[in-house]
Order: sequence, then C-alpha cells, then structure tokens
Amino acid sequence: MSGGLTVWKNNKNDIVLDPDNLFWVITPNQGDHKVFISEKVINFYKNVRNKLSAEIKDFRFSRDLTAIYIDPTDKCNANCAYCYIPNQIRKNGHSMSWEELDFVLRKIKKHFEGKKRKQVIIFHASEPLLVKGIIFKAIKEYSRVFKFGLQTNAILLEKEDVIFLKKYHVGVGISLDSFSSSVNNRLRPAGQGAGNFSHAVRAIEWFDGYKGLNVITTVTKLNVRDLPGMVRFMHSKKVPCVLLNPMRFTHSGSLRLKPDEKLLAKYFIKAVDTAIALSKNSKHRIIVGNFANTILAIIAPLARRLMCDISPCGGARCFFTITAKGEMIPCGEFIGIKGFSGGNIFKTSITKAMVSKPFKNIRDRFVEKIRECNVCDFRNICGAPCPAELHSFGNMYQKSVFCNFYKEIIKYAFKMIVEDKVKYLLRDESSGMLKFAYNFNPA
Amino acid sequence: MAQKKRVRALKQVKEERAGSGTIAYRLKCAKTANGLSHFVMYGDVQKEKTVL
Repeated sequence: MSGGLTVWKNNKNDIVLDPDNLFWVITPNQGDHKVFISEKVINFYKNVRNKLSAEIKDFRFSRDLTAIYIDPTDKCNANCAYCYIPNQIRKNGHSMSWEELDFVLRKIKKHFEGKKRKQVIIFHASEPLLVKGIIFKAIKEYSRVFKFGLQTNAILLEKEDVIFLKKYHVGVGISLDSFSSSVNNRLRPAGQGAGNFSHAVRAIEWFDGYKGLNVITTVTKLNVRDLPGMVRFMHSKKVPCVLLNPMRFTHSGSLRLKPDEKLLAKYFIKAVDTAIALSKNSKHRIIVGNFANTILAIIAPLARRLMCDISPCGGARCFFTITAKGEMIPCGEFIGIKGFSGGNIFKTSITKAMVSKPFKNIRDRFVEKIRECNVCDFRNICGAPCPAELHSFGNMYQKSVFCNFYKEIIKYAFKMIVEDKVKYLLRDESSGMLKFAYNFNPA
Repeated sequence: MAQKKRVRALKQVKEERAGSGTIAYRLKCAKTANGLSHFVMYGDVQKEKTVL
C-alpha cells in the first residue's frame, strides 16, 4: 500500500509523485505557492494506485536469481587507488583451477535446470584475464547454457580475444577513468609508471562499436572534471554506453579521493548533456548507462537493469558473487568484509546460501527502515546504495554517501522527461522494446 | 445559481490549465519479462535482453 501523493517544484513544473509506487504527473507550475492537481489526475491515480503498488512490491522483494558473478582469481595486475578489494588479497590471492571453475559452473547449471532462460555469468574482479585460459574455455564450453559477461582492465586483452568475445556475444566492461592518460594512469596504475590507458583504448578500438561493450569510469576527485571529455572521447571511439559510477568507500583508505558532491552533480550533468548533443547530431549514439537507469526508474521502473538503486539492492536477491576460494557473498563489494559469506560453493548448495542469514541481512535492508530515506520522495529511485560501503562506515542503515548527488540527478531526470529528451538517453533498440503501460491524457 | 456557474467555470479553467502540458506515463518491457529477470550489467547483445 502506498502512502499517497507528494508534490514538489522542479524548475517550471510541479511534480506530483507517489514515492512508494512511483506514479508521477508533471504539470506546468501554477505559481509559487499554488499547486492544482486536476480531479481527472486524482481519479486516474486512484484507478492505478493498487496495481502499481503491487507491481513495485513484487519487483523490489522478489528473489529471482538471474546473474552470478564469479571472481576466478583474487589477483590483480593493477593497483587502483580506490579498489574495494584488500591489497593483500589482490597480491597473494587464490586463483581457481579449471576443475574448480568447471565444478562451479556445473553446480550453477544444475541449480537452474529446467528453467527456460539462460542464466548470466559475469567474470569480475580482481582481474579475470589473469586466468584467461580457463574463462575462455568456460565461455566456449558453456555458451549454450549461460550468457557471459566480463569486466576487465584490458591489460591482457589481445586482438584475437576481442574476436572471440564478439563471436560468443560476451558483454564486456572495460575500466577506463579518463580521456587523459596521465589522469587515468594515476588512478589505475599498473606496472612501473604505467597504467591501463593504452591497453584499454587499444581494446576499445578493436571492439569497433560492438554493442555489448560498456566503458566504466569510476569517478573520484581526480577525474570528476573529465566526465564530459570522457563522453566525447568514448563517442569518438564508437562506444555505445559509458557508466560514470561514483567511487565506493568500502575500503576506508579511499575516502581521500571522494569527489565534492556539487562538482560531481555538475560534471555528471554536463556529461549527460554532452551525450545527448552527440547522439542528436551524429550517426552514433552514446548513452550514460547509470543516468539511463535513473530515467528508467521513473518512466519504466520495472525495466531497470542496474541493481544498486533498487531497495533492497540486488545483492543476495537477484545476484551474488562467488570468490576465487568459492565463498558465496551477496556482492563483490563484500570481499574482505567478515561475516557475509552464505557458505562455500564447494560444500554448500546455492539454495542454502540464498536462505542463509548473511544473505537475508542484505535483503532485509531497505529504504523504509533508514532514517531520512523513509521520508524522502526519491527513496525508490535512488535506493540508498550501498550496504557494503555503509557497513564499512559502521552501520548499513544510513543514507547513501552521495545522497545529495542522487537528488540532483533525479531532479535533472524529471527535467529531461519534460524536455522530451528521453529518446536520446536510452539505447536505440529500446523504442521497440518498451510499450506504454499507460499514457494519461487529461483532455 | 450564478455563483455555482462561476465556480464550475473556474474549475473548468483550472482543469484545462492543469491539463495542458501535463505529462504522466509509464512504460513496460514489450518483448521481455520485466527488468530484474533480465539483469545483465554488461552488454545488450541478445535480443531478448531488456533495455538500458
């Protein structure tokens, strides 16, 4: 059940919003102190309210496991300033053997036996290409069973690897923090005096506009001003999607890199505007993935793909992570944090892990239980991420570190809806994949 | 009576004013189940995946 409508002003408009089920109406501003909500709007809202509330409840609290992250190695060939994985794990960690990885994949396959949908497996942090041989073997052998994704710094990526990944339709995320090699390599050092810049750019060029490519930029105070330039740079390389993710502070030492929230909002919005202008005026479209997700949270909340801004988040609910040693943890952010293993996949079933207390603890953390979030209009658009990060600060039941940034971005998303710019903010393919649940016309 | 008419007319004007430029819609996935069941953070290659 929803708590009803709230009204707030956004530039020249009044936004009427039900924060619980994300029903919204935008009307032209009726003056500084007056808000007039038409009777037709109220009646329409009354008609759809219960249905929308039930849909959102199901969306937020269902436990449909659809992706599993596998960290096939703890080791990394880089030393990123903000990495959430503890240094000693990255340097001396374990790597899976083929037999271990094969065991894990067989177990996952068995768990989902009988389901029509292909399960998603994403090879993730530390640097999965350090065990390229076994993950490529897995992609080849299990391509009929799973869809695969890979997150990499691209240092070990060769041209023939790119051909292989494209052939098997692997979703690929490449980490790159700036269009400037010096800024990027300062944030993402690897080897002596170098970083991943030249490798990442070379790989992006090899991918040559591949639709399954995302470039992920982690935003810190060192590269916050580079965001619009980063969008321009990636557009020139035909990249279809960039994610401009504010850094997480799961590792407390990274606090010194925190970007100022106002600056972050300012340059993030400039990056979004840059992407719109480029998409509008050229043949190639580029989207800012996390802003697209904010737009979707408003116009198509059930079509959201990124899990961090849903409350409870997707960790331990829609996905979980298997570490190189086989520990099942709610999300990769929990690596190195004690008390969050749902069991070891070499000994425990996935079903048991899903009902384990550590997993349940993450699913139990949602915005209605968090002071300030529980009365915030945007609580089901931002989702108050991230429990792992906030746990590191001593208590996961607190608002997001970037609360003010999210508020600014959400207001901007409503502005983009008013200005009819949504068509430039989502992928090209999306127009054929979305249809109206309703389109209220008061006339 | 005249007063009643005036109130009704005012209400109509307000309705029209509020109606013009009013935006309220919701979209849903047409070819797929809704978002969560199609979560793939990296890539939009297969047709059956939902949009980002």
